[in-house]
Amino acid sequence: MINSRLLKLSVIVFVLIGSSTSAQSESDLYSTENRRLFGDYLFCQQDYLRAIREYQEYLKFESNDTVRFKIAYGFNRMGRYIESADNFKSLFFASALAEEAKLEFLTSLYFGGRKNEFFDQLARKTYLPKKYEPHLVRLSYLSEFEKSFSYSLPDSAIFVSLFNDSAKVKMAEFYSRKKHPGYKNPTTAALLSAALPGLGKIYTEEYSDGITAFLLTGLMTFLAVDNFKADHDLRAWLFTGLAAYFYAGNIYGSAASAQIYNAGIRFNFENDFSFYLNQNNYFLPQYDFLCR
Amino acid sequence: MKKTLLGILLFPVLLFAQNNLERQFAYAENLFESGLYYQSITEYKRLLFFDDQNEYSYSVNLKIGLAYKNGAKYDEAVEYFSKALINAEDSDQTFECKTEIIRTNILRKTFNRAHELLDELELNSDYLKIKNDIYYWRGWAYMLDDDWESASNEFAKISQDHEIKKLCDEVINDKYSVTFAKVISYILPGSGQIYTGNYLSGLMSLSWNALWGYVTINSFIQDRIFDGIVVGDLLWLRFYRGNVENAGKFAEMKNIDIANKALRYLQENYKGIKP
Repeated sequence: MINSRLLKLSVIVFVLIGSSTSAQSESDLYSTENRRLFGDYLFCQQDYLRAIREYQEYLKFESNDTVRFKIAYGFNRMGRYIESADNFKSLFFASALAEEAKLEFLTSLYFGGRKNEFFDQLARKTYLPKKYEPHLVRLSYLSEFEKSFSYSLPDSAIFVSLFNDSAKVKMAEFYSRKKHPGYKNPTTAALLSAALPGLGKIYTEEYSDGITAFLLTGLMTFLAVDNFKADHDLRAWLFTGLAAYFYAGNIYGSAASAQIYNAGIRFNFENDFSFYLNQNNYFLPQYDFLCR
Repeated sequence: MKKTLLGILLFPVLLFAQNNLERQFAYAENLFESGLYYQSITEYKRLLFFDDQNEYSYSVNLKIGLAYKNGAKYDEAVEYFSKALINAEDSDQTFECKTEIIRTNILRKTFNRAHELLDELELNSDYLKIKNDIYYWRGWAYMLDDDWESASNEFAKISQDHEIKKLCDEVINDKYSVTFAKVISYILPGSGQIYTGNYLSGLMSLSWNALWGYVTINSFIQDRIFDGIVVGDLLWLRFYRGNVENAGKFAEMKNIDIANKALRYLQENYKGIKP
């Protein structure tokens, strides 16, 4: 009898609990904590825009510096550097992540194409994170190195000393490649081809083009002279025109070839250098707490 | 008694958790049906995240794939169709996922992959039941890869009167023959261009070839053999080869226009299933 009563009572209690759970359950998936958990899941899937939306909803009810950092970091990953920098700014004061936020704020300026602002901030030292100062000094040197010419490079010893032992050899190699790029002078190439057709092409290491240009220009000139001597005016002028065309074309082509040669050197260097820096995340820190 | 109590305790929790996921699914479906694909993906993903029992793994992954596909994010679509495929519970679901992967490959123009998958499907499935679907999508893959004859053959396997087969045949008939354009240009310079409707280019080609042909032959007649060889090689042959290549290029360009016109017709007027 008692058991039967207990059973009935239990049914009533649990149905009531169930009903209240049901009323609450409508918002369960959208509860503050679940928003954060779902946001973390999306963030780790690199679905940053959706993650940011979830985090923004979460922050309406809770305060969490890691979540704020992740929002700013997500914008950064999406290439939305202005929003990223603005969001990092909100963590500058009274936050355990203030140093990291300052670093990321400055790198957002750097990678967002606002290098002047980056250098201004670095010089003013207002938001300089002490902990990450060496990283930022290295970044500023990298920027200077990237935009400088072979004659205006920073001191090699200082430049290489900024990197850890494993990177020193590679950076010294890049420095040497930039210092001695082995460019060809377009004017020299043009003058060489003017003096002897094809020589400019040989200078720019286009050997087969150089030999072909020499033979064709010589042949056309010979035929033009020979036809003038034989009084075949039409063909004589035709070959004269062709000889002049090949001669002028070769001078222009040699100068262009030197420029292409130089562009190739620049492209290969920039490509290799950029690949190496990206591979090493520009020697900036990676954060374990972002996605565990 | 204890078991009964435990059952009573757990029943409403499980029931309402279930209702919660169902409601979430219905909400995501509603967004999907309204064409709000971005939002629907978010809600489907939320459902997947909280679906501990993996009850919705197949249907939700498939829907995310479809939403990505509708948003022209084909790589992501294939990723989610593949996840749905892993969770497929019967041959119909497997076939649906594979078909969607094939259709997405056709849309993103990875035709070789589409053909590979169609071949696999043909080998591993109940072929008789799905053979028309295989022919149909293979036809589409060929058609969008500009191989209209193979496409026509595939649609003909479904029916000789198939609407798209007729369209393919029309395209084949309307197309210019690149080989013919080149061959007649070999015989008479400029004629290939005239065949493809480029009259001015054809006449220019004819004139240049006549001029350099005259100078070359004249050199030989005057016993200036070396002059003839040089002019013939550097000028006449260059214009002659250019004329042939030009004729082929014009024919190819016209053919692209014809194919695009047919594809536009399919996009705007064809009522059947499209990739």
